[in-house]
Amino acid sequence: MTDSLRMSALLAHPQNGGVRAIAGPEDAEWTGVVVETNEDALPADGGGRLAILTELPPTRPWQQDALVRRTRDRGFRALAIPHGDNFGTGTRALADRLGLTLLHADRPMLLAKACWQLVEAQDALTLGYVRKVAQSIEYHANDLTDLLRHLSSSVGHGVALIDAEGVLLEVGGQLAPEVHAAIDFAPWVDLTRMPAGTAASVRVDSPSREGLRLAFFGAGLDERQVSALAVAAEVAMPAVAARILIDEVAEVSDASVSSGVLRDFVDLRGTPDPEVERRMLERGWRTTGYHLAFRVVGRSRVDALQLLRFVMGELGRIPVDSHATTTGRGLSGWLTFSEPPAASQVEHYVAALRDLHVAARRSFNVATGVGSLASGSAGLTTSLSEAADAARIAVNRSNTGWFVRVDGLGLEQLLLAWTGNDTFVPAARSLLAPLQSGGGELLTTLSAYLDHESAVAPTATALGLHRNTVATRIQRAQELLGVDMSDPEVRLALHLACRAVR
Amino acid sequence: MPTILELASLPALATGFGLLGSGGGGATTMLELALRRSPDWPMTVHDVDELDPSTPCLGAAFVGSTMLLTERLPGSAPFAPLIAAAERWLGHHVPVVCSLEGGGLNGLAPFTLAGDRKIVDADLTGRAVPGLDQMSLLVDGVPGIVVTCDTGAGGVALVQTDRALDIERVVRASTIQAGGAGGLVFAGFTVGDLREHAIVGNAARALSIGTAYLEARSGPLEGLAAALGGRLLAEGRITAIDPDAVDQHVTAFGITGSAGEVHRLVARSENLALMTDGRLEAAAPDLIVVLDAISRDILEVTDLSRARHVAVIKLDGPAWWSRSPHRTRYVTPSAYGLDGLDGAA
Repeated sequence: MTDSLRMSALLAHPQNGGVRAIAGPEDAEWTGVVVETNEDALPADGGGRLAILTELPPTRPWQQDALVRRTRDRGFRALAIPHGDNFGTGTRALADRLGLTLLHADRPMLLAKACWQLVEAQDALTLGYVRKVAQSIEYHANDLTDLLRHLSSSVGHGVALIDAEGVLLEVGGQLAPEVHAAIDFAPWVDLTRMPAGTAASVRVDSPSREGLRLAFFGAGLDERQVSALAVAAEVAMPAVAARILIDEVAEVSDASVSSGVLRDFVDLRGTPDPEVERRMLERGWRTTGYHLAFRVVGRSRVDALQLLRFVMGELGRIPVDSHATTTGRGLSGWLTFSEPPAASQVEHYVAALRDLHVAARRSFNVATGVGSLASGSAGLTTSLSEAADAARIAVNRSNTGWFVRVDGLGLEQLLLAWTGNDTFVPAARSLLAPLQSGGGELLTTLSAYLDHESAVAPTATALGLHRNTVATRIQRAQELLGVDMSDPEVRLALHLACRAVR
Repeated sequence: MPTILELASLPALATGFGLLGSGGGGATTMLELALRRSPDWPMTVHDVDELDPSTPCLGAAFVGSTMLLTERLPGSAPFAPLIAAAERWLGHHVPVVCSLEGGGLNGLAPFTLAGDRKIVDADLTGRAVPGLDQMSLLVDGVPGIVVTCDTGAGGVALVQTDRALDIERVVRASTIQAGGAGGLVFAGFTVGDLREHAIVGNAARALSIGTAYLEARSGPLEGLAAALGGRLLAEGRITAIDPDAVDQHVTAFGITGSAGEVHRLVARSENLALMTDGRLEAAAPDLIVVLDAISRDILEVTDLSRARHVAVIKLDGPAWWSRSPHRTRYVTPSAYGLDGLDGAA
């Protein structure tokens, strides 16, 4: 064995036989490796190499001292032995003093094999990694993270999925920011070696996401290890790309199923239905307890699935049982409490939902409505529909940051929200159509008149008209519409219609 | 020519035996105090060559725990019943006494018999050793040796055997029976036997290095070592005390030198070896003397404690042990079951 061997590379090797540095220089480079059963068999010319002994070392301190001394005197730069961690402070101090690296090895033969791979048999090293990648693909993975976890534990190094912005997923360690910054995203394969760490990355060909890379990383890996890992990354990449697609398909189908369940539940309007209950329970949705519902809708076209993915991630930060699914142009969700939360707690969670809304608005043009706290199955329905109403209002409420909470609304706002739907507004328009002629002054006057308790004098004051003018206009409106305004039902209908078309 | 020892030279003699104890052999203080009241001063010490080789000789010493002797003081004539038993067995008076162990308190033991017997400057070890089978007469297999020892309550045991190990075992058992410490007498040999089969001139050496030590005591450590005819091997702080996993009597002391050197002092009941930075610097039969680096007190193994600042000086061991491989085998560290410490240069 003639090639050089770095201590850091050996320590970073995933199957190095449990080698640990006990004493001596922090990092070192050796000219080679000698493996023998005991000290007597070591060659007299160490030549700056690492000596690995497979037999147990002596236990008495002076014998350990002598072993360290003689190994150094033979010209070796490092000594690896089983039970090296039994060496006392004196012997360690001596190793420091003599500049001999003292290594403990749980299994010296494995260490010898790792050295052989690093020094002489790079193909064996690469093949070993590739085989481990293949093994990890063989096992079932629940999702992408699970797959990366398999890869990481099998290969023995950290695995990360990265884009130019940062790390999306990482398992088995942390990719140092310096190393991430140094990775070149252009080429197919990139090898990065920095003092802070090393990484081998490969481009991920994913139709849904551009600019992704799969990186194997670790500290102190030498050039041979990094290039071997690059091959491993190339082999692992298609599996990762496929997994990204599978996860996306699964996500879409899961979202549509859960959306259907929620729709069915809301349609029941609180009537118990064992079938729907069962399907909800299957998704982990409990109807018992206390619920605080919210709805997030797009103010313009929004990818509901992307929004759901984002909101689900954010919900994870709120320490309470929470669920969400896509419905219509947005998503509905709710927080569930098993015990009734105190008013201050409710405020706290509403604030958390507002934070979520604010965070979502950085990427999506959305409005959010929050319902009131309600209990049980019927309560969940109520809270959900309140949240839907609030969201409908929030869409036009720039002054509240497109965030509306039902408890903060007047009753009339609610009433108006209901009148804002697609059936009422056309009806109201056609009802009031006769008043549109003549610049709409009749409609304005009628609205003001109804707003002022059907009193002529305050209406005239409010509009700056003579009271006779007001009385005449009301008379004309009555005639045009053909209604009797002394009937309270008629007055209510007209009042709502005026608001709806305004 | 016989050497006349005055009372004034007693401290130097005792100090010299303390140095020759190599960390063991017991403190000389008690015997020194007892001898100070002896009516026999000045005392005469004869060379082996000055006496008729056919003169019968005996050796006397204390065995067992030397620490116990500082608590349970020996009587005024501790060896009298033992010598009487030996003489009765041999059937004749023994007019000459030598030392059994030439290090530690036993170096002074023959001087307690100065009133009745001639003292010859010879002993059976030249340093402190733990086993009776390591006595030079037994190592060389001199025939006819008779051993007597205390068994407690005034009792005496007498052993005559050709197997040295039996002497060690029987005397050890008797001494335990006697309460952990007691007297021991070797007889059945002559002054002529000592010429070839014992270490001669050790009392003279003790007197000379004891005198040198007392003169150079307060000077630099290197100078002190040179004055003793030895070499300073280590100076530093005791930073580790590791009891041996195999032999509970063995302790390895870690001494961190002032320049960061890693010294290992391996001791049993005596200091047996010193290793510096993984290289063996001294090993029995070399004498390894540990001093307190500040007070310059001669330290026994039991005095060594963590954080104590010590100096280690190597003195040449008795040449007698190195004259044949057979003899060497009895005193090197491997004789004590310690691997990898033999063969210091």
